[in-house]
Amino acid sequence: MSNTVLVAWSGLVIGLIFGAVGQRTGFCLTSGIRRYAQERDGRMLRAFALACAIALIGSQILAAYGYFNLNRSLYIQPGLPWLAYLGGGLLFGYGMMLANGCGARALVLLGSGNLRSLVVLLMLGIAGQMTLTGLLAPLRLSITEATTLALPFADASLSGVLSHWGVSPTLALTLAVAAVAVPLLLFALADPLFRRSPRHILGGFTIGLLVPAGWFATGYLGADDFDPVSLASLTFIAPASNSIQYVMLSTGTALSFGVTVVAGIVAGSLATALLTGSAQLQGFPTPQRMVRYIIGGLFMGVGGAAALGCSIGQGLTGLSTLALGSFIAVAGILVGAWLGVRGPLRLSTV
Amino acid sequence: MTTTIVTRFLRRTVAGLSIAAALTLLGSATAYAAPVWERFEPVKALLDGATPRTNGIGLDIPLVSEDGSSVPLTVTADSRMRDDDYIEEIHLFATRNPNPEIASFRLTPHTGLARIATRIRLNETQEVIAVARTNSGEYLVSSREARVTVNGCLTRADTYDADNIMNARYRVPNELARGEIGEVLTMINHPMETGLREGADGEIIPRRLINRFTATLDDRTVLEARFNTSISANPYLRFHVRPEEAGTLTLAWEDETGAATQEKAPLQVR
Repeated sequence: MSNTVLVAWSGLVIGLIFGAVGQRTGFCLTSGIRRYAQERDGRMLRAFALACAIALIGSQILAAYGYFNLNRSLYIQPGLPWLAYLGGGLLFGYGMMLANGCGARALVLLGSGNLRSLVVLLMLGIAGQMTLTGLLAPLRLSITEATTLALPFADASLSGVLSHWGVSPTLALTLAVAAVAVPLLLFALADPLFRRSPRHILGGFTIGLLVPAGWFATGYLGADDFDPVSLASLTFIAPASNSIQYVMLSTGTALSFGVTVVAGIVAGSLATALLTGSAQLQGFPTPQRMVRYIIGGLFMGVGGAAALGCSIGQGLTGLSTLALGSFIAVAGILVGAWLGVRGPLRLSTV
Repeated sequence: MTTTIVTRFLRRTVAGLSIAAALTLLGSATAYAAPVWERFEPVKALLDGATPRTNGIGLDIPLVSEDGSSVPLTVTADSRMRDDDYIEEIHLFATRNPNPEIASFRLTPHTGLARIATRIRLNETQEVIAVARTNSGEYLVSSREARVTVNGCLTRADTYDADNIMNARYRVPNELARGEIGEVLTMINHPMETGLREGADGEIIPRRLINRFTATLDDRTVLEARFNTSISANPYLRFHVRPEEAGTLTLAWEDETGAATQEKAPLQVR
């Protein structure tokens, strides 16, 4: 089996697990934030924090053992286009609240028969590709170029900053991982309700593990002296766009990791939903709701493409590399989402 | 930078619209548009009046590429590759690159299979053309449109490992039967500087290309290649060899500064 085929199959397996776990546990940052803010139920948000910590620790351990080099991922680049990360994150976060779920959640819901998600995904995919390579691409590139901060060190990551200040690389990495993972774990485990909820613990833990699994698939299984696969893990904006593109152009394009993950999630969620009898076709109750979801999908596509990742792509995968840009993007996503539940731009609960 | 992007964007749109308009006009006059290679000077010069066949040769390029700096290309010509009937030359052209010649290859019956894969640079969406010539002087032509979109995510500066420059590697089959065709992969660390690019200091980075590659099996030539600016950095080649007996495959790379590297790959034949 060639390395590209192996990576495609790994993507499908990772997607199937994500779909099944997401369908059963309801893993979702959007609902997590909304429930935390409005119902004081923090279990889903804490599951996301647990996933984030597991993704970080797992990825850094595998990287330390030399399975892949996270500095080669697209999250760690020489400069820091802070405005694209921050603005894109804000737009994504607010869009996620408008559409009542991020791209990954929409894929899981689509598998269980939710057709509202289909509309969101189509909008997200088209807007994402528009921003990456289409009508909005020149604008995105000019903003990115105009606001890129040159950094005095090569690796734009938290551990890179510490080593720049003279800390030895190994210690810098350990400190950086601890500085991020420990607060996340403390936040997750501080809540006795969360500690007593195996569903949320299992959801966060498994989804967290899928991030290093993705790095391993593309970085280790996909490694080849002559034909390497580009290093990637779970992310959903470009893959959603690429999936739409693949359906239309498959004779002229190669099947990538992201596309098989997307297919796997829908299939995994569908299978789980059918097996547990929870599949149900759902549409929009009103046209106004449809408009809101369409705008949400567009915001997520444009914002996610500008910030190079979504709540999963930057929140779990990006942060697992300790990239500085990912911290900015995640801050943007959280603020954007918060604006959707509090303050003058607050949205009604769906 | 912003203005250049905007003007480039406008220029492309305007060019696209005028081409569309021109095609509409042409379409009403002639039933079909002639293939691009018929109007493309470097190909016309190569054909020198000969009428090529358009079947028996295939060009495989992704329809859409998000990274124009490394687009995989495979060219295949139908041929038995025997002493009396083989493909002798393959030429590749990129119609809208600064230097249209991508690469030229000379094949021999020892190549076994007239198929070559490499990675090329494409400046913009354009037609890529492959021309093959048989030992009897017959030409075969194929062309294919390759679309290139902006490459946003991978803006990492073109830095390369200066210590390992001219470092080549290869992969050959462990063992072949007599007369069996085996696949050879080889690659060399090299920037393939085009001499068209500015560095961070605004100075033109001097041109430095790998311009010659040869593969010989003992004293028999298997493949000769000449590269131009449109071959991607870290040139990569996939070709074939049909050994009649065990021997040593010598892969030799040479760049314009005179730097050269040789790798010797033993070929076991049972």
